[in-house]
Amino acid sequence: MTQNATLERPQTGQGASLELTHALTQTVYREARMLDDENYADWVDMLADDLLYHMPGIETRYRRDKTDQITDLTRMAYYNDNLTEIKKRLSRLETGTAWSEDPATRYTHIITNVEVELTEKSGEYRVYSNFYAYRNRNEREEDSLIGNRVDIWREAESAFQLVTRRIILKHNVLLSKNLNIFL
Amino acid sequence: MRIEGIGREPEFSRYMDLKEGWLDRRIFSDAEIYEEELYRIFARSWLFVAHESQLPKAGDFLTTHMGEDAVIVARQPDGSIKVFLNSCPHRGNKVCFADAGNTRRFVCNYHGWAFDTAGELKGMHEEYCYDDNDIDRRKNGLKQVARVAGYKGLVFATFAEDGPSLDAWLGDFRWYLDMLLDNEEGGTELIGGCIKSVMNANWKFGVENFIGDAYHAGWTHDSGCRSMNNGQPFPPIDMENSYHASVNGHGWEFGTEGVGDLFLLGRPKVLEYYERIRPKMAQRLGEMRSKIFGSVASASIFPNVSFLPGISTFRQWQPKGPMEFELKTWVIVNKSMPDDIKNEITKGVMQTFGPGGTFEMDDGENWSNCTTVNRGVVTRHERLHYRCGISREIEHDTLPGIVYRGQYNDANQRGFYQRWLDMMEADKLEAMPDRPESRLSGVGETRNLPGLFAL
Repeated sequence: MTQNATLERPQTGQGASLELTHALTQTVYREARMLDDENYADWVDMLADDLLYHMPGIETRYRRDKTDQITDLTRMAYYNDNLTEIKKRLSRLETGTAWSEDPATRYTHIITNVEVELTEKSGEYRVYSNFYAYRNRNEREEDSLIGNRVDIWREAESAFQLVTRRIILKHNVLLSKNLNIFL
Repeated sequence: MRIEGIGREPEFSRYMDLKEGWLDRRIFSDAEIYEEELYRIFARSWLFVAHESQLPKAGDFLTTHMGEDAVIVARQPDGSIKVFLNSCPHRGNKVCFADAGNTRRFVCNYHGWAFDTAGELKGMHEEYCYDDNDIDRRKNGLKQVARVAGYKGLVFATFAEDGPSLDAWLGDFRWYLDMLLDNEEGGTELIGGCIKSVMNANWKFGVENFIGDAYHAGWTHDSGCRSMNNGQPFPPIDMENSYHASVNGHGWEFGTEGVGDLFLLGRPKVLEYYERIRPKMAQRLGEMRSKIFGSVASASIFPNVSFLPGISTFRQWQPKGPMEFELKTWVIVNKSMPDDIKNEITKGVMQTFGPGGTFEMDDGENWSNCTTVNRGVVTRHERLHYRCGISREIEHDTLPGIVYRGQYNDANQRGFYQRWLDMMEADKLEAMPDRPESRLSGVGETRNLPGLFAL
């Protein structure tokens, strides 16, 4: 279906150059800043037209259980969105009646452990990272979402664009009443 | 099974007057009332524990809770389903830590006591340490629930040995349930996986919202509706041709226009699919039910399951204390649907009613604040208003149940709390009345009732 680079690690994940690694690291930091600032217009500009933004729901299973809970896109997922669907979600904030977003939630995304690899496709790069997303809301509501991401970023004319992201949240039960956040 | 703990003088009627239409807020926050709910409601009700499709093969299991009691639900070699406590009779440790899977044995990590998928004790670590008189294996299996029964794919269990059968418990509500569970040949299945989240809210707020609160939708979910449908507002409500129907504390609020909830899902292909099968649905369920399905609607099965027919979210509100519940959500689809329609529905449900869904986000905020504000000792003694539509009860030729006209109504909520009160006060379940008297008692299959309830 897709000609894009895949998220799964190939036999050898060849590390990218220092320059490329720096550029993509700065890109994911910049993206995190867009999300912290609720600057969704600029965030959406960083997303490719053929985006797949996927955060599977993962049950606790025994090690011997080989059910594919990660790459099977037909299973339950917090996010399994293309660009149009991401924009639909975001359009809720434009309505003026998204009551639970006013007063605003306060966000901080901390992005660490960034690794950049070349892929089988030139101009597309695999980027691993960890995230710590902290939310605080109203008087004393707070929660922390921690996990890993693996992305494919594509070199476009003047910037990099996110093509594919898989988010693995470490919660079994989401310890929060909602997920009004992108990770 | 004898449920210890019942025996306090029942005096729960002072917390509500449903003829007047008010509730006392303490039922949403008081720790003692919550404990009594666990005994009187959760330990005695038929509770949803699984959908058959989650356990296709022998040895398939899942873990869940009945009230706060952890249980294992397991498919047997003969195809039946058993439900037993997830707690070893030796020291009480859990014997299964996975949400789901397939196994031959549940083995306790503490002393290696091993149970088969029927819950029977099959072996222990260093078994020689037990002398002949020490243990009767047959009496030391995992504690079975009293009864397990199914209705069209849904599996229910109860700790109550006595009391109504599942068919009697669901009663005339089966007529409504068939719209979800039997609108197409082949029945339903749940999409793989289950998403769980927690809310600092009383479990009843989730149930009562889905049982009848169409009223909140156009306001709370204005943003959700517009985001899913290119800025279009909520479909208008027709107060003449929409209803509340309550049966034994279960409830379904609905229009009869056939498309409202399908519209809210925001997936045109799904709407088209149901339009294609609607004539067949009318043959199968009758004209009336084919017009109810897909309309702006929501429903709950007493005490703690809810769903949106047409939007296809299916969920359970698991109590975790007076001010906390765990929400388990699934997606329910017809087995016979093509894969692309199942996918469209799954994506649509998660974008509207998943934790990150454009509708769900505004609900959780409300229920949490409705609950936690009751920490105030003055606040918690204030009454809540449940009187909307109190004089709009009607007799309806086609619709079973206690029927009220106009889906903006508190009628099903009052019906739910009436059943709550019935159970909280009844020492014997047999003493609880059917509400209303059953029309379909003795009718085995409610799908085709030619002449009887067909318009």
